Amino acid sequence: MSTPRASRVAIGLEGVRKRFGSITAVRQVTLEIREGEFFSMLGPSGCGKTTTLRLMAGFEEPDEGRILLRGVDVTGVPPNRREVNMVFQHYALFPHMSVFENVAFGLKLRRVARQEIRQRVMEMLEVVRLEGTERRRPGQLSGGQQQRVALARALVNRPTALLLDEPLGALDVKLRKEMQLELKRIQLELGTTFVYVTHDQEEALAMSDRIAIMNNGDVEQIGSGREVYERPATTFVAGFVGLLNELDVRVDEVQGDIAVMRTGDDERVVVSADDARPGDRLRIAVRPERICIEERSAPHTAHGSRLGGVIARVAYLGTFTQFHVDTSIGIRVTSHRLNDERTDMLSAGDQVFLCWGRDDAFILGGAGSSGGDVA
Amino acid sequence: MTDVAISRRGLRVLKACFGLLLLFLYAPILIMAVFSFNDSITVTFPLSGFTLRWYREFLSNGELMVALRASAIVAATSSAIAVALGISAAVALVRKRFFGKGAVSGLLLAPLVIPYLILGISLLILFNAAAIPLSILTIATGHVVISVPYTVLVLVPRLERVSVSLEEAARDLGASGPRTFRSVTFPLILPAVISAFLVAFTLSFDEVVVASFLAGDQVTFPVYLYSQLRFPTRLPQVIALAVAVMAVSGFVVIGAEIGRRIADRRLATQLASAGTPETRGIP
Repeated sequence: MSTPRASRVAIGLEGVRKRFGSITAVRQVTLEIREGEFFSMLGPSGCGKTTTLRLMAGFEEPDEGRILLRGVDVTGVPPNRREVNMVFQHYALFPHMSVFENVAFGLKLRRVARQEIRQRVMEMLEVVRLEGTERRRPGQLSGGQQQRVALARALVNRPTALLLDEPLGALDVKLRKEMQLELKRIQLELGTTFVYVTHDQEEALAMSDRIAIMNNGDVEQIGSGREVYERPATTFVAGFVGLLNELDVRVDEVQGDIAVMRTGDDERVVVSADDARPGDRLRIAVRPERICIEERSAPHTAHGSRLGGVIARVAYLGTFTQFHVDTSIGIRVTSHRLNDERTDMLSAGDQVFLCWGRDDAFILGGAGSSGGDVA
Repeated sequence: MTDVAISRRGLRVLKACFGLLLLFLYAPILIMAVFSFNDSITVTFPLSGFTLRWYREFLSNGELMVALRASAIVAATSSAIAVALGISAAVALVRKRFFGKGAVSGLLLAPLVIPYLILGISLLILFNAAAIPLSILTIATGHVVISVPYTVLVLVPRLERVSVSLEEAARDLGASGPRTFRSVTFPLILPAVISAFLVAFTLSFDEVVVASFLAGDQVTFPVYLYSQLRFPTRLPQVIALAVAVMAVSGFVVIGAEIGRRIADRRLATQLASAGTPETRGIP
């Protein structure tokens, strides 16, 4: 098993563009996927993530730009001569072949010696924990098992990168969570580069080293899960990854690098802003889990934001409770609180204060972006 | 099976209609089978007694056996070629995107509605103009024209059920285009290929109009049969032969259909579980 070499580039896309008729599926995508990393492409359906993956595999050819595998230009090279392998959305196992034949398919084509084929197939079936199923047909396996066969069939060829096209989409929630852990385990065990396409942000956050957020054929931001979640580069990223409260406010006062909006007695919204001036209009965002709820009687705190409101609706969601609060500035704000005795006491109609720290809020559209986004 | 839309009486009427339909379809064949064993030169009731004479007679009729052989050759070649063309056409129609696809598929299926008489005459004119001598090969060519649309109609739905991602998976794993077809596509459409072959074979085997236009010195079996109807003494052995041919083709078609159904059911379960995977836990 090779160890990940973080510095080298497994797959590079340079200014890749792909059009289908009048629709531009991918516009000018440039990105580098490092050797051994778990790289996700995340976005809504139709954002170009699957097309980008298919461009890497060679099923589509770009109209413009280059595709590099380990630094070698493979633009125009057919899929059967690219050292990447794919796991398809519905597995695409050959129904007329046994599990063994499915997994051995790629090795046979490479004219690997029979003895070695047998050994490598068995090894790989062990990695995906499917020992003993080699004589069965794919139709006799469960969805999760078929998924593992698809993984083994691709990984047994020791590809430069494994391309996965929403492989868990067809599984139920519980199995999906299990397979997420499995995928991550296998990826770490083999040290293979994984390129993972999904529209499920939780899935991408759970497994990825880095995530590319795509929208309308563009990469909006590339970064670690924490980066794209906490410091989204664009409004789209902020809205797509996780829930978000958006507040449109006007700056009343600037104290150093902090913009302050006074919204009433004892109430204010603050946010870090480098070059804000009084009178500026800002759109600021706060994640629901960053907003705490205090009863009206609670003592006033000097720092951070504080906004009065009335609880409009309470939704109990197991580990946490979702509070919808109509604030004094006329915007409904959502707060997530882990359940404890205090959240149990709050109910619709209660007068409350919402509060969050200065660094919990960020300005949407620009400031604080951590680079990596491609125009 | 209960259908709420049909009353009990309506159902009885429908069943009676179906019975009449069966009678209408198969009574002539049944009567023919009965007469093939009838010990009389005239094909009329009352029956005169049981005999296998007519069967013996046609087996010793050299001309007839030669015609039968010619038919077998024509049917085998024409259906093999038609199936090969049908596969290429089906692959293009189902898998490729190209300009004028609708027109192409229309042109491919057009021979279905062109009267055989006209096909026969036009092919005869064509072969004459090209100075190609008439033989069983010209008959086979004519039969290819007739059977290609049928093979396309049989193959297209099957190919549509084989997911493109299976072929992509093969390509992705290192298979060339031809290799992908050989290892993945062809085995999965094989039942339809066999059906298409049988359809084309039977079509050719009893086709008389085009064959009579395009035949050289050697006629095919149906053309020969047709010509023998003029001689009343030959009629009983012609009937016996017809029954024998029908029995053989009946066995072949039924056998192939059973085989196809078994293969189809197997593929259906395979495709179903591969296409919409179940979400059972991992044992």
